[in-house]
Amino acid sequence: MTRHHPDTLTLMEFSAGNLSEPHALCIRLHLDQCPHCRSRVDTLDSLGAVMMESQPQVGVSSDMFDAILSRIDSEPDMTETYISTQAKRMSPLQKLLGDDLNALPWKRQLGDVSVLDISERFPGQNEQVVLQKLAAGGKAPAHTHRGSETTIVLQGAFSDQKGVFNQWDFVVLNQEDEHKPVAVGCEDCITLSVLSAPVKLTGTFTRLLNPFIR
Amino acid sequence: MSTLDQKPARAEGRKDPWSQLLEKVGKNQDRQAYHALFEHFGPQIKYYAMANGMASHAEELVQEVFVSIWRRSCLYDWRKAAASTWIFTIARNQRIDMLRKMKRTSAEMPVETEDLWQIPGDNEDEPVTSLHRLMSERRVRESLSHLPEEQITVIAKVYMESKSHQMVADELNIPLGTVKSRVRLALNKLKVILQDQNV
Repeated sequence: MTRHHPDTLTLMEFSAGNLSEPHALCIRLHLDQCPHCRSRVDTLDSLGAVMMESQPQVGVSSDMFDAILSRIDSEPDMTETYISTQAKRMSPLQKLLGDDLNALPWKRQLGDVSVLDISERFPGQNEQVVLQKLAAGGKAPAHTHRGSETTIVLQGAFSDQKGVFNQWDFVVLNQEDEHKPVAVGCEDCITLSVLSAPVKLTGTFTRLLNPFIR
Repeated sequence: MSTLDQKPARAEGRKDPWSQLLEKVGKNQDRQAYHALFEHFGPQIKYYAMANGMASHAEELVQEVFVSIWRRSCLYDWRKAAASTWIFTIARNQRIDMLRKMKRTSAEMPVETEDLWQIPGDNEDEPVTSLHRLMSERRVRESLSHLPEEQITVIAKVYMESKSHQMVADELNIPLGTVKSRVRLALNKLKVILQDQNV
């Protein structure tokens, strides 16, 4: 059961289609598991529909409908094709990362923390997209964030002074948030984070390490 | 905002005319119904494309959206969304997909546009959810006509011009906090925020 949700303004930017792809992915993964936020997005989508309806309207060329019909007629089985591709649809996470998150080529950073930078899977984006793994029971060093960091928990759970974050929980951290996450439960905690700027260490570490600490 | 009041209102528990037409397309491949939807939504989608700075691709977007409507109309269920809401999400997804193809990033990326933007949960059959979805569009249409112009302006820029809250603030030359509070006030009225308290 998810406890930490995206805020309504972020859901609105999702509904309007204005988020970057990595951010949209974080929201989409949360929506997959959260009926509450799905219902909020439904309402926001209705807002989009009503906005579209209340704007000025622009006439379309007279021959366009015929062009559409001839396209439909040239692909007679397009409905069936669509349904069969829907049936084969994998979760976006599976498509992006395969079936086993634990089997990814993790890079051990220090003690309990491993990372994997997947920014190159999102060509043409400026943000850094990183998977982070904190070993079960492990601790990450204290750090703050220079820009904002959007995180969704993919596996396990972590806790910091703000609370416990379980699978599919959504959290945004920024400059004011200094935290010291600990992986709770018996599983490694894996998160997906989108970072707009590097993290600043506040403890004794001097190197930039990773997203639990970047 | 007078156009809002002229649109077919959804009677409690009844399908609005557009949803009925869309259902006919899905069930019987009814081309007359499809044409009626085209006449109504085509010009809206064309404006949407132009407002998004895609003037030279506006008709192409209308075409893509309508081919897509035909393709998936058999999956449409009026209990889950009003036709206008369903069509808006297709227009949004096709806009994103078209921009992505123009940037030619789609070929390099394993995840498709729909993977990111299509709302999951098409199999939800809980009556509460259905009722909620039916109510939401009607409620939004009614509440929106009572919102102050300054709130509607901000929302229109977010939805029709795909501007971030920051971009809206820059354009209107007002602080980001003002943009956000206008949006929050509006969403409060539309009961999107109120639901947060039920978590």
